[in-house]
Amino acid sequence: MAYIVQLVVLGLLIGGVYVAVGVGFGLVWGVLNIVNLSHGALVIVGSYLTWKLFSSYGLDPFLSLPLDAALLFGIGYALQRLLINRVIRAPLLFTFLLTFGVNLVIINVLLFLFKSDFRSVTPSYAGAGLNLGPLVLPYTRLASLAIALLLAGILGLILGRTRTGLAIQAVGADRDAAQLVGIDLRHIYALTFGLGAACAGVAGGLIALIQAITPTAGEPYTLQAFVVVILGGLGRVSATVVGGLLFGLIEVFAQSIPGSGSVYANAIAFGLLVLVLVTRPQGLLGRKP
Amino acid sequence: MSTPERSSFTTRPDASGRRWRRIFLIIGAAVFVYALLAPLTSTDAAQAIGVPLLADRLWFRIATIIAMFAVMASAWNIIGGLTGYAAFGNVAFFGIGAYTTGMLIAKAKWPFFAALPAAPLASAAFATLIGVPLLRLRGHYFAVASLGTGVAVGEVIQNVDFRGHPVFGGSTGLFLPIVGRDITYFYLMVGAAVLTVAVTWWVLRSRFGYGLIAIRENEEAAAVMGVDTTAYKVSAFALAAALTGLAGGIFAQWNVFINQENVFPIEYNIQMILMALIGGAGTLFGPIIGAVLLQLLIQFLSGSLPISADIPFVPADARPVLAQVILGLLVVAVVVFVPRGVIDFFGGQSRLSLGYLRRSLRETSV
Repeated sequence: MAYIVQLVVLGLLIGGVYVAVGVGFGLVWGVLNIVNLSHGALVIVGSYLTWKLFSSYGLDPFLSLPLDAALLFGIGYALQRLLINRVIRAPLLFTFLLTFGVNLVIINVLLFLFKSDFRSVTPSYAGAGLNLGPLVLPYTRLASLAIALLLAGILGLILGRTRTGLAIQAVGADRDAAQLVGIDLRHIYALTFGLGAACAGVAGGLIALIQAITPTAGEPYTLQAFVVVILGGLGRVSATVVGGLLFGLIEVFAQSIPGSGSVYANAIAFGLLVLVLVTRPQGLLGRKP
Repeated sequence: MSTPERSSFTTRPDASGRRWRRIFLIIGAAVFVYALLAPLTSTDAAQAIGVPLLADRLWFRIATIIAMFAVMASAWNIIGGLTGYAAFGNVAFFGIGAYTTGMLIAKAKWPFFAALPAAPLASAAFATLIGVPLLRLRGHYFAVASLGTGVAVGEVIQNVDFRGHPVFGGSTGLFLPIVGRDITYFYLMVGAAVLTVAVTWWVLRSRFGYGLIAIRENEEAAAVMGVDTTAYKVSAFALAAALTGLAGGIFAQWNVFINQENVFPIEYNIQMILMALIGGAGTLFGPIIGAVLLQLLIQFLSGSLPISADIPFVPADARPVLAQVILGLLVVAVVVFVPRGVIDFFGGQSRLSLGYLRRSLRETSV
């Protein structure tokens, strides 16, 4: 029983990371209809910034999160404004390929800059945790979960309460109608992608705290973000939060099966993907299309 | 993939297009004959009677790799170019083919020529199995699900073990006995490429092929017209898988060593798609042309061509990374500047003019 509780807690804690990775991916997919294959690479850019600031300047990793968000927002805005906007009406294969190409460039530039060595961020409090009888909850993981939920909350507020957020939602619902009422599509598209990338940056900062990073460490996160979004249902931040936490739980339980393990991260995500797409393509919380 | 103006099967090229096509065909045929015969000059018999050496081992090693990619790009063309399903995980079939042959030779001690036919069969069987659920999906869903297949299969093959012993050689990989000489594998791989083109040629002219094109242009309409869309799509997927698996099987014995990294590389997915797009998706020779051009470029950039010149400011050990960056930028450039594809590049209107670029950018951007 204690073992089950331990797995549930661990799953929710890991789920926090998937929430952070998933919300940005889901926003871009829902509004722009782009499956951003460079999402995982953008996440790792955030991780490297956190690592660099920590190892060179001793900046606390949690304090570098706003900087991750700011840097990635800039990269994302520029990417969409300069590149993706140009093919946004092209057939799906092309936006898909384009983001794959961007992914390849980012990963290899990171390889060039940082080599493929494992890097980790280990602040003095890395090993400390909350002691609950048989359970030890690392503070960094608890804080990651809290920050991921906070991130989702902030994103939800931006989308639901600000004029810009409403404009983003309007573009997602019907871009021609949105253009008719005077919304600058290019700017809103770029802003949306920028916001998505900023979320990726924060996720990257959190990931730097919980695992060793390499330039290719982000690759599984792209597939996992996709699964998280379809698990919850496309189009709402709250659904992605549920999807992310649920995915964390499923992964932890799947990996606890004897003979399984963390080496099957992609296979588990893929198996779940096929299962959800075949049985409930609109996601658990999604409405019937 | 489904805008009507992109189908090149109904439009006739104009006069200048026909001229270009003829010139290109002649050059292509000459290059092909040279590439086919040059390796023969390296055999002992040819050297004994004093035939000048036209191709050394390194050159036909590269030619073998090009033929391998020609198979993969052409096979992708059947599911991606003709049927219009953005398959992003075909590398899974390459890897499954390689591991099937590899396991039969290394563990069951089969001779190579007995083990090779199992590779396309295993890949096609796997494609049929996953094709039935996956090909019900459309658009992004199919693309990502197929991408996931490629990653997941490699991961499972590397990690699956039985009572502590890795079943498929684990992360060490599989070692095969050395059999035959490079020149044999060159001709085998070229044979596979010719077979792939022949299969595509047949598909393009058959009822099956017209069914696939109908699915690409409008799947509902195709179904209404009486095309059994599920059977057609799954057959196209399995056919592509079989050919890709064949290339994988040949690769396993040629390379004598296979592991997850050399038979499931995720970049192969993008390379085969890019090759098909550069040359012209949905056409017969397009993917072959793309394979030659792109593979030569990649080999040059990564410094494996014997003629490689130094690239300024780039140290030699950074060349493979640079090759990947350029490949990524090339993908971006192809997508941004020729978003409607480079389909009938040598037919129809010139797609190299600035006016064309401006028009296509205006059509697809916001």
